Amino acid sequence: MPNSFQEDEKQSARDAARTIGRALRYIGPFRRDFGIKLTLLLLSFIPMMLLPWPTKILVDHVIRGIPFGEEPRPYPFFLEPLIQAASELSPTAVLVWTIAAQFCLLVGIGAFGVASRERNSANGDGIPQGWDTATRTENEANSGFSLVGGLFGLLDYRFTMRLTQKLNHHYRTHLFGRISSLPMTSLDDGRIGDAVFRVMYDTTSITQACYALVLTPLTSPLYILLSIWVLGLVYGWVSPIVFAGLAFLLVAFIPTLPLAGFQRLYASRSRQAGAKTTSTIEESMSNVLAVQSLGGEARELDRFDTDSANSFRQYRLKVLVDLITYSIAAVFGGGLVIYVFFHVGDGIVDGLYSPGDFAVLLPFFVGIASASIDLGALWIRLQGDSTGLNRVFFLMDAASERDSESDRALGPLQEKLELQAVSFAYETGRPTLEGINLTARSGQVIALAGPAGAGKTTIAQLIPRFINPSHGRVLIDGQNIADYSLDSLRSQISFVFQETSLFDATVEDNIRLGHPEATESEICEAARLAGASDFIESLPDGYQTRLGRGGGKLSVGQRQRIAIARALVRNTPILILDEPTSALDPETEQRLVSALREASRTRLVIVIAHRLSTIREADEILFVEEGRIVERGNHPHLMNRPNGRYRQYVNMQTLGTDSPTSPTTP
Amino acid sequence: MQDNTARYQEFAQLGRGGQADSLSFRLILRLLWRCLPLLRTVRGPLAGLVACGAILIALFAVPVINVVNIFWNGVLEGGPLSDLQATMIGLDPDRFSSATGLSVAARKEVLRHLVWSVAGLLVALTPIFIGLVYWRIWILQRVNQNLRILMIEKLQALSLRFHDEQRVGDSIYRLFQDSAMVTQLINVLFLSPLETISRFLFTLGLVFLWDPRLALLLMLAWPPLFYLGHRFARPMRVGFRHAREANSRLTSIIQETLAGLKTIKAYGAEGSEKKRFSDASLEAFTAAYAARNRFVGFKVLTFWCVGLTLVIGVGFATGLSASEAPLYGEQFMISMGFAAANSGVWNLGFYNNFKDRFGDGTHTEHHLLDLWGTVQDVATGLDRTFELLDLESDIEDAAGAIPITSLSHGVRYRNVSFSYESKQKTLDEIDFDVPIGSIVAIVGPTGSGKTTLMSLLLRLYDPDQGSIEFDGRDIREFTRTSLRENVSIALQENILFGDTVAENIRYAVPHASDERVREAAEIACALDFVAELPKGFETQLGERGTKLSTGQRQRISIARAILKDTPILILDEPTASLDAETEHRVLQNLARWADRRIVFLITHRLSTIRHADRVAVIRNGRLIEWGDPQQLIEKDDGAYRRLANIEAGKPLRTEPANSQTGEP
Repeated sequence: MPNSFQEDEKQSARDAARTIGRALRYIGPFRRDFGIKLTLLLLSFIPMMLLPWPTKILVDHVIRGIPFGEEPRPYPFFLEPLIQAASELSPTAVLVWTIAAQFCLLVGIGAFGVASRERNSANGDGIPQGWDTATRTENEANSGFSLVGGLFGLLDYRFTMRLTQKLNHHYRTHLFGRISSLPMTSLDDGRIGDAVFRVMYDTTSITQACYALVLTPLTSPLYILLSIWVLGLVYGWVSPIVFAGLAFLLVAFIPTLPLAGFQRLYASRSRQAGAKTTSTIEESMSNVLAVQSLGGEARELDRFDTDSANSFRQYRLKVLVDLITYSIAAVFGGGLVIYVFFHVGDGIVDGLYSPGDFAVLLPFFVGIASASIDLGALWIRLQGDSTGLNRVFFLMDAASERDSESDRALGPLQEKLELQAVSFAYETGRPTLEGINLTARSGQVIALAGPAGAGKTTIAQLIPRFINPSHGRVLIDGQNIADYSLDSLRSQISFVFQETSLFDATVEDNIRLGHPEATESEICEAARLAGASDFIESLPDGYQTRLGRGGGKLSVGQRQRIAIARALVRNTPILILDEPTSALDPETEQRLVSALREASRTRLVIVIAHRLSTIREADEILFVEEGRIVERGNHPHLMNRPNGRYRQYVNMQTLGTDSPTSPTTP
Repeated sequence: MQDNTARYQEFAQLGRGGQADSLSFRLILRLLWRCLPLLRTVRGPLAGLVACGAILIALFAVPVINVVNIFWNGVLEGGPLSDLQATMIGLDPDRFSSATGLSVAARKEVLRHLVWSVAGLLVALTPIFIGLVYWRIWILQRVNQNLRILMIEKLQALSLRFHDEQRVGDSIYRLFQDSAMVTQLINVLFLSPLETISRFLFTLGLVFLWDPRLALLLMLAWPPLFYLGHRFARPMRVGFRHAREANSRLTSIIQETLAGLKTIKAYGAEGSEKKRFSDASLEAFTAAYAARNRFVGFKVLTFWCVGLTLVIGVGFATGLSASEAPLYGEQFMISMGFAAANSGVWNLGFYNNFKDRFGDGTHTEHHLLDLWGTVQDVATGLDRTFELLDLESDIEDAAGAIPITSLSHGVRYRNVSFSYESKQKTLDEIDFDVPIGSIVAIVGPTGSGKTTLMSLLLRLYDPDQGSIEFDGRDIREFTRTSLRENVSIALQENILFGDTVAENIRYAVPHASDERVREAAEIACALDFVAELPKGFETQLGERGTKLSTGQRQRISIARAILKDTPILILDEPTASLDAETEHRVLQNLARWADRRIVFLITHRLSTIRHADRVAVIRNGRLIEWGDPQQLIEKDDGAYRRLANIEAGKPLRTEPANSQTGEP
């Protein structure tokens, strides 16, 4: 159970490899799209093989005036027909035709070989982002890329962006679904901000890892082979240029390897610090009432300042590690580039190549080198993603309450609900409940009473399986509820929590939450029973009034009544209310209690309460103390027990009104 | 005040997809202007960074032109080097600048020297480069942090009227995503244009030296670019705005769903919530898709413009080079040492150099247009930031507000009226006077205005009419901070923070000693159960197995209010979740503690009211009864008596009882 939501900061290389490998499994539903993206990438290779040649033609034949056919190196066979045609033209005509060809390339793929830095003009660079994990990943979630520009690049880019978004949407929704099936108590500790961060910003790691794992290993070797082939046609098969290019594979891999651990460490710290900042904002905004009324503004500001500054710092350190990693590789790579300049320069001086060849050799070298870098740096680039993946998988793997769920449907309660020798302990081993036995029949009102912290709420939570007993069984009509599906169980129980939560929607939608098909008259009826209709009707827009955040515009008692209406409208065989009346005034409470009496004719009502006026009406009162049921019976019965715990408890409450026995004083 | 409510509602509506485009170029510049104060704390470092960058660029301009020229002209063609060029790469100028050209051996030597000089320079510069990037990030993050702090301060200063409407997810989104745009602002509106424009002008000048006609061509790209920039600005802004709003809604939906997860699960609404999430997520992606499409389309179009310019320019230059035409600025090039004597013509070196310069020219043009596109998103984000910062808090300290020193007489509500929405009055002419040393119980039906009455005392809201007075002075004359330091409250919803028990009790008084924390816990009857927690007061709330029951949380919340040790204490339904025995103990302790203070108890429970010496009965926002509980209970048909009877389950009058509780 991810109560602490804290995964290990230090991931070993093997863990990281396993995590990354796992990301591959998530490609499944998108195989076809990945196929298309792959095809688009391969298609964009073709123009890239053609791009350098027009420059060579311009330099060698137009400027230097070398006649066609006399250049030191022949043109590749696929250009032969063009060269043939060009050799019959005047240099000016060649110039004009070359410009025309470049113009076509410009429109089609946004590149024409003269200025190689413009080649990637259509990729998503330029969308502004900040210097922290959150904005960077928000950008990743919508990123597209293409190797080329122009019309083809635009098409490719749009397709890729859609694919990225589809993937991210799929996994965000999946993770969100997983979070909502976590055990009931998982988010009790207010880790909402952290969960928000995971859903919004960590899931994008899946997409990034998938692209890296699928596209790079398939396309980079192909690109390298294609380049070697084209170069081989002209400059011989064993060109030093090729080796220099391929050497980048090692240059990108070996020097960066020792830094992979740092990459993971700082990426993970950066994500955790971002998530912590989110939690801090979330907490202080959600609890703004408490913050303002307790004068905690300075404290909250301080907390935010520290967390936010730390998240910036961690991100900065992550960037620093990135910079150092890539600089080390760049220094080694620089050596290779120098070698290529030597080689080509010497070759031209020796007459092996023409100056125009430089314009061909260099782009091919750069192409081979960058494809090699992509392959060689694959591991180091995945390190940052592995930490995001780790955070996502951590939640996905957290035991969900539906993991070992049976799909058998439990029939609605006909007769009775039983707890047989039920014990419950939290993980620390502190027993909360011990040996609870109870039988409740449909048509009854059962009250759980007793001191605060005695375990009343815990007993009630066992019935809808918000928690599972450590020992013992819970039976409905003799069937162990653990053997049936959660949906069939929970659909027959309406549970009203002690702390009501309303949503920022209309009153009607809030009541309708558990019963989407409820008619308007059913909703009004439930509201009337819950004693809420009067105040709802006096709201500006009646049932259509929007409640604002957490129902903040209503008083606690009003919220409580809406929550009760929400339970009543479902019309389930079992109704459980955890202190439903604590914030109600006596009059409203009385009306509610009789409504519950009324409701109990056709169902089982279980009420947890401190207030005598609520408890008194129950058919059976179970008095709970320190995790045990110490007394049971109806009100008169229990009041007749001399020195009974219940009697003392009641007397304490009505102190002086009808008490012959004096209470135990503190 | 009503104006503010309307404004806040309108603001909250923004996050729900209310508004589209409100920006113009003038407003964008104003945003820049408004962000300048954020730079105050980083003025020095920023100036240093810009200076370092400028020095580096200036140092580089000359070598870069020369390196290209040496390579193409000297090494590949065997042309002579200028004196400067030879010296730069550590060669003897006399040997390499002879007009006859270079031998094969000399060309190879030039190549070695050239390559090693460049390599040495790059290696030496790498650490400097890393340092500069790191420095730059540090500065930008500081600026972002400054803005975040301003926003958080504003969010906290805004009254509950604002927060009732505002979605938490929207605040998160604005703080994270929208504020981050400020890091781009300096770059996008200031540094980058400055650099790009100066580079463009520099390049234009150089191209002019090659051939003025080509410089004109470079200028001809501008009109279509301007048109595109103008035509696309608004659609891009609208797109980015929608994308930001949609993502902000998505954040809100996740946050709200997770906050209410318990209820959703209990009511089997997981499916419909997942659907709601999925819809919002799709909407966010669709909006981002639309915005980015416009942006990318814009980039492709502008690239066509500059690409066409580049193709034509290079073609023209190729023709000039084929005929080795003289350069327009021949003499200048030679006198600057860019060319050896008599070689100031369109040779391969100058051709390739020109291609680089001209490419640079078109590149800077394209880059400026890119920046213009980026500005649209940056401005949209900052606009959303300033929307928040521009909101006026409806509760500000009055001019000349003074701190409260002490409370010696009492609190008076003087004809106080208040309403949340204009239609209904939540409080209507409430008037009472509480002398110091009293315990006042506030009773009445739910929703009658009890909690609101107390919120006014803390100035979470201000009354519409009437006033509240401390020792005869309107509380609006005091500073808000000092007011809140003198009033403590235990809220009805026992909000605890993700910290230790001790820190939670210490929340309002961060430096309180452990001893005082213990004392407060003792008064609130929290000692027993805290002692049973795994680590006592140091137990982290929210960790495994330390879930507190509502009654336990309530007592921590009471201890927190007590620790603040203020003359006024408000307990909102302090005992609702306490069993009778604990309640009795807590109230007795409180009564002892409360000597020479004022305690307000909002409650329904008769057993709690009995500890009070004044009762205020509120119904529909009006004070209908006020007085000593013992007298009120005697009153036939009195509202208080009716409530008491129902609570006690007695249809008839009951005997008032204070005999055993021992009032202070």
